[in-house]
Amino acid sequence: MKNFSATCAALLSLFLIPALSTLSFGEDISVTATVDKNRLTLEDVLQLSIIIQGTQNTPPPELPSLPDFRVTAAGTSSSTQYINTQRSVSITHNYRLTPMNTGTIVIGPSRVRANGKTYSTQPITIEVQKPSSSVAPADRAAFVEAILSSKKAYIGEQLVYTFRLYHRVDAKNLNLQLPFDKTWFNKEDLGEPKSYIKVVNGIQYHVQELSMALFPLKKGLVEIPASGIELDLLRTTQNRSRQDPFSRFFNDPFFNRRTQAEHKVLRTQPLSIEILPLPEGAPKGFKNLIGHFNISAELGKRDLEVGDTTTLTVTVSGKGNVRDISFEEPDLKNYFKIYPDKPEFSQTVQNNQITGEKVFKFALVPLEAGSRTLPKFSLPYFDSASAQYRIAKTQPISLNIKPSSTKENLNLVQSGQQNVAPTKPEIETLGRDILPIYTELDKFKSDGSYSSTFIGAGFGSPVILFIISAFIIKRQNRLKYDVAFYRRRNAYKNASQRLKQLTEHSDSKEFARQLSEILREYIGDKLNLQGKAITAEEVEVRLKESNYEPVKAEGTRKLLEKYETLQYAPMTRGSTKELLGESENMIKVLEKQS
Amino acid sequence: MKNAFAFFLFIVLTLSASLPTEASDYLNDVVRANGLYAEKHYAESAQAYESLIKKGMQNGYLYYNLGNAYIRMGRTGSAILNYIRARKWIPRDENLEANLKFAIQQTRDKIELPPAGTLNVLFFWANDFNFNELIVFAISLNFIFWVSLTLWMCFPSLKVVRNALLCFLLLAFVSIGVKIKNESDLKLGVVLAENVEVKSGRAEDAVTLFQLHEGALVTVTGKHDSWLEVRLNDEQKGWVPQNSLGT
Repeated sequence: MKNFSATCAALLSLFLIPALSTLSFGEDISVTATVDKNRLTLEDVLQLSIIIQGTQNTPPPELPSLPDFRVTAAGTSSSTQYINTQRSVSITHNYRLTPMNTGTIVIGPSRVRANGKTYSTQPITIEVQKPSSSVAPADRAAFVEAILSSKKAYIGEQLVYTFRLYHRVDAKNLNLQLPFDKTWFNKEDLGEPKSYIKVVNGIQYHVQELSMALFPLKKGLVEIPASGIELDLLRTTQNRSRQDPFSRFFNDPFFNRRTQAEHKVLRTQPLSIEILPLPEGAPKGFKNLIGHFNISAELGKRDLEVGDTTTLTVTVSGKGNVRDISFEEPDLKNYFKIYPDKPEFSQTVQNNQITGEKVFKFALVPLEAGSRTLPKFSLPYFDSASAQYRIAKTQPISLNIKPSSTKENLNLVQSGQQNVAPTKPEIETLGRDILPIYTELDKFKSDGSYSSTFIGAGFGSPVILFIISAFIIKRQNRLKYDVAFYRRRNAYKNASQRLKQLTEHSDSKEFARQLSEILREYIGDKLNLQGKAITAEEVEVRLKESNYEPVKAEGTRKLLEKYETLQYAPMTRGSTKELLGESENMIKVLEKQS
Repeated sequence: MKNAFAFFLFIVLTLSASLPTEASDYLNDVVRANGLYAEKHYAESAQAYESLIKKGMQNGYLYYNLGNAYIRMGRTGSAILNYIRARKWIPRDENLEANLKFAIQQTRDKIELPPAGTLNVLFFWANDFNFNELIVFAISLNFIFWVSLTLWMCFPSLKVVRNALLCFLLLAFVSIGVKIKNESDLKLGVVLAENVEVKSGRAEDAVTLFQLHEGALVTVTGKHDSWLEVRLNDEQKGWVPQNSLGT
C-alpha cells in the first residue's frame, strides 16, 4: 500500500510540475537586456539577449529602433529552476545585430508586456569601430578583397570584377552580397566560383573566388560599393581546464577539442573607376563594337552553274560584345538571289575574358553566268587595348559561274518575300458600267411557274404507273407459280374452246360423256379439284361450299346426272343441240357466279 | 397493258399541254423593247418590258433587261428591284450578279444583300437553281426512283440503287422545301423613293429612327395597312410607307 501511494505521488508530481511550470505563482517579473560585447568592429556581430524573469507567457519583446544595425532573430530559450523549493522561470529572446555604421550607438530600451504591465530594459551603449587596420590581413582568420581589372575603361569595354574570400578556418553558411548598379553597368557571369589555396605572407589560406564581367554603360567617375559576405567561422579551441581529474584522464586532443562558431560580416573596400567616352573619329558603319575581333569569309563552291546554290559563310570571333554583331545582306541582288540563314552564336570564357564567335551564312544562287568577285565584309570596332578604331575585313572571293546546263527558267523567290504573290502588271480600271441586255430570243421563253397540275402529274404519274406495273408483275408471277389461280383463270376459256370444238356427234352417248367431262373439268379448274373423278353430288356440295347459289349448284348436279343418264339412253339429233346449249348456259352462269 | 399505255399517253399529253408555249406576239414585243433599248430610248424600253411583265410573262432575262433600262434612266432603286426579281429565275447568271453589284455601288447607302443563313449554307445548291429547275429535277428523280422500284420487283439485287435513289429523292424534296422557305421568309425590299424616313411607328408623326436612300436593300418583316416593317440589322428596324418600297 505504501508503495502504491509513493507511486501515485511520483506520477502526480510528474504531471503537475510541467503543468505548473508556466505559472508565475506571484513571482516578481523583471526584464533585462544583455549583449555579448560592448565594443566591436564592422566585421563582428552583436548578440542581444532580452531575458524575462518570472514568467514565460509574454509576447515577444518590442525592440527599439535600430537603424545602425541589421537585426535578425536568433531564437528563444526558456529555463525553470527549483532552489530550496523556490521555483523561478525565465525566457530569453536572442537577436543578432549586424552593425552597419561605426561610432557609439545606444541600444534603446526594449519593452515587454506581461500581466497587464509594461516592463522596459535599460539602454546599452555600444561602440562600433572599423576593422583594425593594424592587424595584418594575414594574421586574421578570414578576410575578403575585391579587385577590378582596370581603374579606367571605355564605355562598352569589358571589366572583370573579382571577389575573393580568404579563410584559414572552416567557413560555413556563406551569404554573399555583390553590389551592382544597373544604371552604370551591364553584368554577365563568368562561370562558377573557383576554390584554391594561396599562401599570403607565409600563411596558407583557402580562397573562394567569384568573378563577373561588367560592361560600363555611361561615362563618368563611379564608385562600386563594398561587397559583403556573412559567414560562420568555425574555430577549434583546446579545453584548458587541468583541475578536472577526468580531463587529465582523457588528456587526448580528440576529447579536449571544442568547435566554436563565430558569425562574421566581412566587407571589401569600395572601388572607384573612371568610365571614358569613346574617342572621336569613329569609322563609317561603326556600331559600338568594343574589343578585339577577327573576321573571315568562306565560299562553299567557287565553280558553279546558274541556278546552283553555294553558301557564303562569314565568321566573326574575338573578345567583346560579339553577340551584338550583325551584317546586312551583301549587295549582290543583281547577280545573285540571296537567302540569309539565322546567325549562330557561341560564347566562351577564358581567363575571365568573354570571347565569342558568330557565324553568318548566306545561300547564294547566281542568276547570270560570268566571273564575279564578292565584295569584302568589313567590321569597324574600337580596340580598347590600343584605344584606336580598327576595321576588320574579309578577303575578296572570286567565283566562276557557268551557264546552266539545263535550260530551266529560274523561278526563284527572294527571301523574306516568300509569301508574296508574284507581281503582275495590273491593268488600270478606267471606268465601270453595267453589262449589256440579253437579246437572244430563246432566252425569253416564258419561265412561268409550273401549274399544280403539271407538278401533281409529274410526281403522281410514276406512282400510278408503278402501281399498274406492280399489279401486272404480280399477276404474271401468280399465273406462273399459282396452279389453282392459273386453272381458275383459264377454266372458262378452256371450257368454251372445247365446247366449240364439240360437234354434234352421231353417237349421242359419246356426246353426253364429253359434255359431262367438259363441265366436270370446268368445275375442277374453278375449285382446283380433279374434275374427272368427282361425282355429281360432290359437285353440288363443293359448289355450295364455294358460295355458289344453291340453286345453281343443284342445277349443275342435275345436269351432270342428266349426262350420266343420256350415256345409257339414245338421243335424237335435236336433243343434243339442246343439251349443248344447256351446257353452255350452265358454264356461263357458273362463270358469272365465280 | 393497253389500258396502261393509254393512261401514260394521257399523262404525257396533259403535261405537254401545261408546258409554257412560245407566243410570237410576246417575242415580237421583246424584240421591240430590246430595239428601243438599243436606240437608247430607255424609258420607252422600260415601259415595253413592264407591259410584258404585266401581261403575266415571267422571265428572268426580261427582268434583267428591265433593270438595265432603269439603271440607264438613273432609277437605281427600280433597277436593283428588278435585278433581285431576275435572280429568282436566273440565279446563276454572272451578268446579273455583276450588274446588281454595280447598281448597289451606285446607291448612297451601299447596303449589300443579306448573307446566307445556316440552312442556305447546308443546302448551298438550292440558291443556285430556280424553283422550276428544282421541280424538274425532283420530278425526273421521282420518275427514275419509281422505275427503279419496279425493276427491283423483278431484280431484287437492285436494292442498293433503289435506296440511293430514295435518298436523292428525299434530298431533292428538302431542297425544294428550303427554296420555298427562303422565298417566304426572306422578303427583300428596295427603297424606290429618293429618300425615306424609317419611323418608330405606323404614323407620319412617329419618331424618325434613321433615313434610307434610293436603292437601299432592307428585309421586310411585316405589313400593316399601308405600312411595311423593315429591318436593316438586329438593331435597326422601323416602319416605312408601302409606296416608298418595292418588293
